[in-house]
Amino acid sequence: MNSSISVSEFGSDNKRRVAKVKEFLDKNGLDMSSDVEVFVTIKDEDEMIACGGLAGKVLKCIAVDSSRRGQGLILKVVTHLLNAAFTRGTKELFLFSTPKNIKFFEDCGFRLIEECDGEVILMENSKNLAKYQAELSSLKKDGDVIGSIVMNANPFTLGHSYLIEEASKRSDWLHLFVVKEDASEFKFADRIRLIREGIKHLKNVTVHEGSDYIISKATFPTYFIKDKGQVNEIHAKLDLNVFRNQLAPYLGITHRFVGTEPYCKVTNNYNQNMKKILADPNGKSAPIEVVEIERIEFADQAISASRVRKLLNEKNYDELKNIVPPTTFEFLMKEII
Amino acid sequence: MKIINSAHAGTLESSDIYIQINPFKEDKIELELESSVEELYGDAIKELIIKTLEDMNVSFVHVKAQDKGAMDLVIKARLQAAVLRACESDPVWEEL
Amino acid sequence: MKLRRSMLFVPGANTAMVCNAYVYKPDTVMFDLEDSVALAEKDSARLMVYHALKHFAYQDVETAVRVNPLDSPYGHLDIEAAVRGGVDIIRLPKTDTIDDILDMQSVIEKVERKIGTTKKTQLLAAIESALGVVNAVDIARCSSRLMGIALGAEDYVRDIRTQRTKEGTELAAARAQILLAARAAKIQAFDSVFSDVRDKEGFVSEVKKIKNLGFDGKSLVNPNQIYMLHDIYAPTQKEIDWAFEVIEAAEHAKKNGLGVISIDGRMVDAPIIARAERTIYLARTSGMIGEDDE
Repeated sequence: MNSSISVSEFGSDNKRRVAKVKEFLDKNGLDMSSDVEVFVTIKDEDEMIACGGLAGKVLKCIAVDSSRRGQGLILKVVTHLLNAAFTRGTKELFLFSTPKNIKFFEDCGFRLIEECDGEVILMENSKNLAKYQAELSSLKKDGDVIGSIVMNANPFTLGHSYLIEEASKRSDWLHLFVVKEDASEFKFADRIRLIREGIKHLKNVTVHEGSDYIISKATFPTYFIKDKGQVNEIHAKLDLNVFRNQLAPYLGITHRFVGTEPYCKVTNNYNQNMKKILADPNGKSAPIEVVEIERIEFADQAISASRVRKLLNEKNYDELKNIVPPTTFEFLMKEII
Repeated sequence: MKIINSAHAGTLESSDIYIQINPFKEDKIELELESSVEELYGDAIKELIIKTLEDMNVSFVHVKAQDKGAMDLVIKARLQAAVLRACESDPVWEEL
Repeated sequence: MKLRRSMLFVPGANTAMVCNAYVYKPDTVMFDLEDSVALAEKDSARLMVYHALKHFAYQDVETAVRVNPLDSPYGHLDIEAAVRGGVDIIRLPKTDTIDDILDMQSVIEKVERKIGTTKKTQLLAAIESALGVVNAVDIARCSSRLMGIALGAEDYVRDIRTQRTKEGTELAAARAQILLAARAAKIQAFDSVFSDVRDKEGFVSEVKKIKNLGFDGKSLVNPNQIYMLHDIYAPTQKEIDWAFEVIEAAEHAKKNGLGVISIDGRMVDAPIIARAERTIYLARTSGMIGEDDE
């Protein structure tokens, strides 16, 4: 009987305790994650022997001291994390960890979604992936070239519109996914509406609401803080693996289109990984050809959503008008008033 | 008893069971069970869970249970604790 | 008097222990709803203990439940669960005065009446403060339901402003007072837990000491401590031989209508016979002799 074992739960604002968790993670070869909101720690007397964190609907930073493995401590941590999530109204959860723990988490009711490079795993405790895959299957179209684009469109620019038109021309059918996570300047509902309005004239495009499985806080948490240059390469790879192995086959996707990235290193890096991972001839599922489409320019500068946001900030509406479709411009003008 | 809230009880540790309870829109007991001893005892556990809920006059309920080889007494105790939490009620001993 | 050398504490929220404690065959299984149970788990632990008490595995072993104080939000519900579950003994935490016992007794009686049981739940008072130790004599005599008093050392040392030591100097006064109060009231006396489960030597030496002081038994926190304790409480072969001689002499005297019992010319009186019977009982419970070895 372990009467000396105690469990505590605390928020990320508890700096002293969080620092101890970071130290413990370091010791166990794991990184601290800046988006964790709730931590759970297990102590024996005063010594930390296990910990875990909850970030939105994702469990992460789960570690057990090497001398205390095999005692079921991981089950204790996960129980407390589930309770913490449940208390906050979140029942369907994801989990980030390392492959050696798959068995333990399966015992906790999680299923493997994808493993990447023998380094990280993504799991979930709902059956949502299977449901999503079935939904995708029902939207499958026939054709030799089935294209795909994933975009945030924050907000929708003439650059996006050009990329979609080009991809549409080169595909028998095009599946367009809009990042669903509401973590950007513009709300999802607005972003997807502007896209829909902007491409009304294209007849071979399905616009999909994104999901937890496409550039979300579950598959790719650091995407949403990429301005801080903190993108974790392994997250990018994981996201691409999920796309190739868990989603693309259900729609029969053969191509993925992406705009060239002249400015943002992080996005450029993501594009390079995309080629490596999606097009790799050896993989669990059929390779996907990656097509980079040159960005269109205005006044010698590539059109991008970040440029739109910058012009908005500078209140340079005249130049702004030239790089977004009229629907987006109208929306932006209404927004500022 | 009427389920007002979501509630949980138990742990994922060995010989325990983890139970989550949610209000359900239909007049029935919707049960999702995963068990480490499913092949041998899955049906018996489901029966016990349903009987325990019926004894407490609970319906309109969704139950998700993760069993780690819990004894009957543990399954009953955890389930009743979760129900009482979800109903914000003190025990009615005659029903337990 | 029932043999109660070992009272195994079982945290009410620890599923594995609640389900398995009977396997270790302590003299009494004591389910805890108080200090070992986190506030958020009080309700769930209470239900688990309630169902364990009703389970067939716990029908052949004496059971006790340590309930939360009556002035907490949990005390009344704990008692209701324990009594309805058919517990043998309720252990009151932090008993300072006879009122604590009388209040508890009336709550228990109310539940017993409500469910119409003829079983009379017994009480064990844990004395965990200077005030409790000072009042021990009155406490020990205040209720026919009281089967024993026990020292709760952790809270006690805090109350008298000291800390636990290996030697146990700090507990000397309390142990002596509790033992005398119990003996004067003809009830049992129990020593506190020894919580460092890794220190076997320390445990053995403490058990020897409290056995010599006259304690009937001790609360335990780990099943491994049960066997060690029973070993120490087991009578020696010499004591068993002596006990058999006493019993034989007594039976011989009875058969032959002799008024005075003697062995080797020395008189044997009633307390000596009682002690011999107790030794044989202990030896049998410890598995040192079989049912027919008389």
